[in-house]
Amino acid sequence: MRWLFSLLSLALLGAVHAVSFTGSRLLVVLEDAKEQEKYGVFLGDLTARGFHLTVESPKESSLSLFKHGERAYDHVILLPTKSKGLGPALTAGNILEFMKKEGNVLLALSSEYATPTALQSLLLELDIHIPSDKGALVVDHFNYDSTSAEEKHDVLLLPYPKSLKPDVKNYFAGEGVIAVPRAVGQTLGNDSPLIAPVLRAPSTAYSYNPKDEADIVEDPFAVGGQLNLVSTVQALNSARLTVVGSSEMLQNAWFSEKATLAGKAVKTANRDFVEKVSSWTFKETGVLKVGKLVHYLDEGVSKKPNASSAVPENNPKIYRVKNNVAFTVEISEYSNTHLTPFVPATGDSVQLEFSMLSPFHRLNLKPLSQTANSTIFGASFKTPDQHGIFNFHIKYNRPFLTNVEEKRQVTVRHFAHDEWPRSWQISGAWVWIGGIWVTVAGWLAFVALWLYSAPAEKIVKKTQ
Amino acid sequence: APPSSTPAKQTSTTTSAKPAPKSTSKPGSSTNASDILQGVWDKYVHKTPQRVKLLDSFMAFLVVVGALQFVYCCIVGNFPFNAFLSGFSATVGQFVLTASLRIQTNPENKAEFETISHERAFADYVFGSLLLHFFCVNFIN
Repeated sequence: MRWLFSLLSLALLGAVHAVSFTGSRLLVVLEDAKEQEKYGVFLGDLTARGFHLTVESPKESSLSLFKHGERAYDHVILLPTKSKGLGPALTAGNILEFMKKEGNVLLALSSEYATPTALQSLLLELDIHIPSDKGALVVDHFNYDSTSAEEKHDVLLLPYPKSLKPDVKNYFAGEGVIAVPRAVGQTLGNDSPLIAPVLRAPSTAYSYNPKDEADIVEDPFAVGGQLNLVSTVQALNSARLTVVGSSEMLQNAWFSEKATLAGKAVKTANRDFVEKVSSWTFKETGVLKVGKLVHYLDEGVSKKPNASSAVPENNPKIYRVKNNVAFTVEISEYSNTHLTPFVPATGDSVQLEFSMLSPFHRLNLKPLSQTANSTIFGASFKTPDQHGIFNFHIKYNRPFLTNVEEKRQVTVRHFAHDEWPRSWQISGAWVWIGGIWVTVAGWLAFVALWLYSAPAEKIVKKTQ
Repeated sequence: APPSSTPAKQTSTTTSAKPAPKSTSKPGSSTNASDILQGVWDKYVHKTPQRVKLLDSFMAFLVVVGALQFVYCCIVGNFPFNAFLSGFSATVGQFVLTASLRIQTNPENKAEFETISHERAFADYVFGSLLLHFFCVNFIN
């Protein structure tokens, strides 16, 4: 019977291809059940990755994002609805509360339908702006699909996005062409440091409402690279929300469609791109985890901090002024199925602050070694010449990576009375030591002479 | 042998050439500064007992050692300060103790110290000196 059991466990393992780091309960909000087939391949891919899907209509009375005060689902996909109201369960406040409880949201918009008011206020809250009129979509006269949008030019064919900055790892890279049909363009506000674009419109694109009958668009909503087709928000608690401007991008019809870009026949790579976007949104990629954090007093046996993972968890609560301290921390990156060693982008490093009110040390943590699942970073330093309560503080917030913050508090005490250097160890004191001992030697000589010499006057014995 | 306590003879000094010699009411008086010093020195050498001279020479030695330390401090600086204090106060303290022993055992002060024998004074002196040395060694760490 054992072979049956192991076969069963193997089968279960095989079924899980990739799973989210934070849970697998996924809610798909879809108004019209008949539309579910249109997204069949996308939802099938999600199921294959290990998510447990629940498809509900927003009008369903039993729909709720929360149960007994906790999240009822780990992730939510909101697909476009015909009606402007999303129901009482999906107000902007509820969705934000869901995010505050670290739930992730994938939001798809469509130019065909008006964006529900709940989503409009949600996006406003997050500082993502969309055109206020229904039917506005992104048009490009140079990057369009000649097969399907010969005249309207509203199906964009774009290459995979490049990374935001040289030192940001790109989780959405790939080879091929992505079709973005009839997308609602978004612009990002300037106030929030939490929003980032994933797929930007090319410089020749602009937002346009076909109902607008003027020959030229005066005062468009946005143009060029300011327009985003896929935008993301990562909150301070690392909850993620992605806005996909075109819900048709997620549909079977566009997953591997033949298209024509500037005369060349291409095949759309939507399935792969959507997989990358949903992986990131649902915390399958770009997730950091901090493992063992060890700090210890470096007794000075070796100059380099102990790089093995076998350092016993020591973490003393108290150090002394001017002690040598070594600090190591394990950081892993979750990559679809398992934890892998985290490698920061070139030129970037995780930093350790040793601070009391303000940092006394700010050091780059160097990667010392790697285990199967994590990289061990370490640094050594000398505690400053100041007593007090200090914190080991790591704060690592990077685009598209979950936020890492670790704090450990330690006391730094004064020198004890017997830890000061002895007088003979201070070369400046040798003269005074000599002075004392010369005095003592002279005194001893004097005492010897005094005792040797006869008294100054004869003691007159009193005779009775 | 130490000199007895009989009053010493007045040493007379020859006066150097002066325009108007003083009246002869005070025999042996000198008017010159160097003569005065010479007279003081001669009187000291002849009249002080041996033991007192021993005390005085030890005190002079302590002054020299203390002055050397002080001059060194002025030139090089007083780091570490506790070491300077300790070394300097060893000489100063020892000087004070020796001075008090001198007061108590000087035959000329016999009238004021009837109740304190020389042995008692010396014992006090040794005890105080040992305390001083202990303090200085402790303070310099």
